[in-house]
Amino acid sequence: MKITVDLDKCQDHGQCAIAAPVAFRMNDEGNLEYETTVEDSYLDEVEEAADVCPVQAILIGQA
Amino acid sequence: MTITPTAAAPRLAVTDPSFSITSDEVHAAREQSWYAHTEYGLAILRYEEVSKLMKHPKLRQGSAAWPAHNGVTEGPFAEWFDSWILNKEGEEHHRLRRLLNPAFSPKLIGGLVPRFQALAGELIDAFAERGECDFTAEFAEPYAARVIAIMLGLPESEWQMIARESATLGLALGVTLKQDLPQIEEALAKLYAYADGLIADRSANPRDDFMTTLVQAQRDGDRLSSTELRDAIVLLIFGGYDTTRNQLGLAMQTFMQHPDQWDVLAANPALGGQAVEEVMRVNPTVRWVTREAVETFEYQGLLIEAGTTVHLFSESAGTDPRVFGERSFDIEAERKPHYGFGGGAHHCLGHFVARSDMSEALPLLARRLRNPQPLPGATWLADSGNTGPISLPISFTAAP
Repeated sequence: MKITVDLDKCQDHGQCAIAAPVAFRMNDEGNLEYETTVEDSYLDEVEEAADVCPVQAILIGQA
Repeated sequence: MTITPTAAAPRLAVTDPSFSITSDEVHAAREQSWYAHTEYGLAILRYEEVSKLMKHPKLRQGSAAWPAHNGVTEGPFAEWFDSWILNKEGEEHHRLRRLLNPAFSPKLIGGLVPRFQALAGELIDAFAERGECDFTAEFAEPYAARVIAIMLGLPESEWQMIARESATLGLALGVTLKQDLPQIEEALAKLYAYADGLIADRSANPRDDFMTTLVQAQRDGDRLSSTELRDAIVLLIFGGYDTTRNQLGLAMQTFMQHPDQWDVLAANPALGGQAVEEVMRVNPTVRWVTREAVETFEYQGLLIEAGTTVHLFSESAGTDPRVFGERSFDIEAERKPHYGFGGGAHHCLGHFVARSDMSEALPLLARRLRNPQPLPGATWLADSGNTGPISLPISFTAAP
């Protein structure tokens, strides 16, 4: 699947990194880094990450 | 390394009973410096710095030591407090958050909107004809408590139990914690019994509801133990009731000062969501968010020593003229996000619920209670920490 994060909306809360560490991580500066493509077997947790994002900035699409 | 001379930063006496965190003094301090010294440590006053430090990797949530600071180191309350997800860090925190999050999903909460609307309508019907009410006792309290009853699948008629026991638990956040401890632990025992009953019921009879989602939550073969579930449910009751009640009262206060905006909201109920955000920007119930430095680090030339308590001032950040311009209240304006729900790893777990229930309640109130005015006799919690009206008598012109 493809992942897009609206970085204008993103506030670096890091809830996505808790829900789906396979795709999202917070760096030492506290800023988001993420994979733009992740295997479909991780769909559940990536959807969970999109769901819990406080500002709803994560979009999931087909690779 | 450059260290800003600390003498340049203002000093705020936040433990003084007359201190107001939304006062001209605090706003003047914000113009002088991005931070101030307090009896506890540091206060952060400007939006950009609050935003950064809220999520800073060198800061942890700052209230874990509260019971110990008040001489309470063992017993049921100390154990419950220690169990709070808010007081966990790192992988221990993340595990709990992953297991609790699905029940609070915006998808699941969307289905409760008709119940929130019906509840708001029923409560307004009960007092509208009188043309006056105590907004706290007759709307904010029953609304906040019954939303929790709806979430947990408890009979809504039991809302007074939720309100009463939560209020007693709330004593735990006051400086009289130790002397109030017997009462607090009695309330805790009652809420534990409720939670245990709910867990047993949904384990045996799963339904399509929030409680069942919580009880069945699992991830990678891991589940919440019954103790973890019980602790989380009681925290949810405690964390969800006071804050919602207070925030609704603060919303009414703000709108009474801005009658034109109340009219805008009444005419356009779709602005309910934006109204909640705008109220929480300028008048948040959580007046400060607490952090503690895990290790010594430097931020913008200021050395913050390990163990320093850092209070992030939400109203001061939300009204920072550098970001929001001149002071105004406009529910149609596009704004940067506020920090009324905290932020980072400890961002409020229940914010989708709070946003949803308040964004249904406010437009209904605006339509039915025309021209609301404060009546004498309002009483308020102190304007620091968590604030709101204890009682808020108002008059209004009833409309259908």
